[in-house]
Amino acid sequence: MGAELPAVADQGALFRRLRSRLFRNGLRVAMENGLARLLTMIATSAVVAAFTFAVSLYLFNQLATNNITLKGGIVEALFDILFFTLGTMLIFSTGIILYASLFTSPEARFLLCSPARADQIFAMKFQAAVLFSSWGFVILGVPIFVAYGIMSGVPWYFYPLLPLYLFGYVLLPGSVSAAGCILLVRYMPRNRKQFFAFVGLVLALVLLFWAYRIAITFKRSIITSGRELDDLIGQFDLMRSGVAPSHWMTRGVMAAARGDFEAALLPLAQVWSNGLLFYLFAAFIAKRVYRTAYDRISAFGRGKKIYKTSPLDRLMESLVFYLDKRTRVLVVKDFRTFRRDPTQWAVLAIFGGLMMLGASNFRQYYSADLGVMDKYAISLMNLSGTAILLCAGLSRFIFPLISLEGRKFWILGLTPLSRDQILWGKFAFAATGSLLIAETLILTSDVLLTLPVEGLLLHAVAVAVIAIGLSALNVGLGAYLPTFRETDPSKIVVGFGGTVNMVVGLAFLVAVIGTMVVPFHVAQLAQRATQGAVKINPWVYAGMPVGLIVGALAIVLPLRSGARSLREMEF
Amino acid sequence: MIRIENVTKLYGPKVAVQDLSLHVPAGELFAFLGPNGAGKTTTIKMLCGLLFPTTGSVSIGGFDVRAEGDHARALVSYVPDQPFLYEKLTGREFLQFTADLYAMPTDRSAEKIEEVIELFHLDEFVDDLTERYSHGMRQRTVFAAALVHEPKLLIADEPTVGLDPKSIRELKTLLRKLASDGTTIFLSTHTLDIAQELADRIGILDRGKLLGCGNMTDLRKQANQDGSLEDLFMKITEETSAEVPV
Repeated sequence: MGAELPAVADQGALFRRLRSRLFRNGLRVAMENGLARLLTMIATSAVVAAFTFAVSLYLFNQLATNNITLKGGIVEALFDILFFTLGTMLIFSTGIILYASLFTSPEARFLLCSPARADQIFAMKFQAAVLFSSWGFVILGVPIFVAYGIMSGVPWYFYPLLPLYLFGYVLLPGSVSAAGCILLVRYMPRNRKQFFAFVGLVLALVLLFWAYRIAITFKRSIITSGRELDDLIGQFDLMRSGVAPSHWMTRGVMAAARGDFEAALLPLAQVWSNGLLFYLFAAFIAKRVYRTAYDRISAFGRGKKIYKTSPLDRLMESLVFYLDKRTRVLVVKDFRTFRRDPTQWAVLAIFGGLMMLGASNFRQYYSADLGVMDKYAISLMNLSGTAILLCAGLSRFIFPLISLEGRKFWILGLTPLSRDQILWGKFAFAATGSLLIAETLILTSDVLLTLPVEGLLLHAVAVAVIAIGLSALNVGLGAYLPTFRETDPSKIVVGFGGTVNMVVGLAFLVAVIGTMVVPFHVAQLAQRATQGAVKINPWVYAGMPVGLIVGALAIVLPLRSGARSLREMEF
Repeated sequence: MIRIENVTKLYGPKVAVQDLSLHVPAGELFAFLGPNGAGKTTTIKMLCGLLFPTTGSVSIGGFDVRAEGDHARALVSYVPDQPFLYEKLTGREFLQFTADLYAMPTDRSAEKIEEVIELFHLDEFVDDLTERYSHGMRQRTVFAAALVHEPKLLIADEPTVGLDPKSIRELKTLLRKLASDGTTIFLSTHTLDIAQELADRIGILDRGKLLGCGNMTDLRKQANQDGSLEDLFMKITEETSAEVPV
């Protein structure tokens, strides 16, 4: 034992002061360096919130028009699904951010060498991770429920209770995710490949089985429009049971909407108390095993692990065969960096899972009676959904590419490659991958839906414009608005440049789909609704050149601005 | 101050440090030398409590780093080769944060902050955000923060990288003064001249094993050769390389 015990600081208060100081200084710098940037970020968030609000208002209005009680069982089931989905997304996103900030960040290393307690370091990192992963949840959640409140005529206290519910809810999935993340790092078996393969297989089987059951029930319900709707909702029993936090949220929000104040408070207490309890549990785990987990992960893979070229690298190189050798080398470098970073490909796995789920639905729609749900409506939904996922995926993976070169940018700067080639390499990487994935998904689903040739061609062209345009936007804006100081891609995405990029990308999607695809689908729907009385007018294709021009602008303008910015960059 | 007892550290199947035993008393300036990948940084990380030994034990000031890590780390300051600073704090705020983290009384911390600002000539930029600092300015600020809480043990990994000749000279003088005032200094460096000039004792590590330890006279005896530290270092490490079967 040491002779004299060193003094101990009130670390909770100390880290609170640190966060507050960092926030104030950051805000001051943002105000000094460019008020326009800050305002644009606030404005773009407001645009996203306003758009969500408008769409929600329209959808709730449609429900009301169709005599569906807004305070009844169907809306309750929809809220259950919404909260469950958002909670699941929060588990993954918080876990990925926490993994990066607890185990790979220089700050974690600095604090672990100091007398800072493991649970205090965890608490600070946890709060930042939850903040980063849940701002979207709050920005999207608040407008949806405000729209719901307006449409269903709720009492005044519904609105102040809303943020209490939403903020309380992010604690629970965040804490579960944090505890899982630390325990996984600490106790993961040595053979990680086998472990991941096993877990992946089990998850895939469970998901497939669940998706199959939902699809079967859904098929029955759209054919008969009968009592089977209950069966469909019954597939989500788990998320609607009394032990599911998503259901506590629904119960509370619905009770507040119905004006039952007391019944609204109990679920709120459940959400907060369980959230805080799980947070304490996660902090306890951090206190016990965070340091040993850090030791374990630092020792992992530093032995005789030999990184070789993978067949995947060769595949990537062959996909960009049209580039010169030196640019191909850059593309393979980006791809290799990506596939070796678990925090990157874990997010891709989530996106991939969502796309697969969509694809399996395409198949089920095909098997179902399409007289009830028109194939043109479904194919338009497929295309829009894939485009939105593509937009989110490219924002997450491609936009941060230039920023992630970070302080090592001088290495690229000194290579015999021109800066334009660097940009073109990243653009080729993004466009090739996204084009392949999106075209495969859309054309497969369209063929299954027996869409006519003109529909297939239209979709193929529109998807090409979307994939290439979004790739150019992400690469160009990524170079124009880089964040070199940040090493965590998820934080680059939610920064100023990332937010602007996301909003511009969504606007681009609306413009392209609206001009190129929607007129054709509306005409087809009108024709079917009137049983052929309305003829298809060739003018439905008039939007094609407009969409192509928008696509060309989306390629040329951001890439030109990005290239100029990159050429002028000093290192 | 430092007691490393039969420490072995494995990275999977690779042995990073092998059966290392080392005692460094209070007030000694100990230089740790070795080729790249010898296990120096791993040893330093075990002293800081960032990594734990696979077998054996490490204690600082009588506190076991694994069992009583919070107390052990309160006695230590670590200056890594890649210094960390909060980008959105000023140098002064970072110094204050460090002093608070080590639970220094307010009046004492205010006094010490002014002292280290003067010592490392930070006054011209200490109130700027650290994101605007050059590498040398960062390194000086990190050193100032490492000393602001009056550590019993200062561990520095390549401390002279990024410093100009004048700052290096001042740092050397400071390190000697700190040691003579009772602070233990554990220095890891590739600059053999600095080690020879400053260190009371020198440890040479290669492939995780401590090949030699002692003052210049001890090392000369061990190498059975006269000459500078560079000559001794080459002789000792080459002899071991020759012994290792290829």
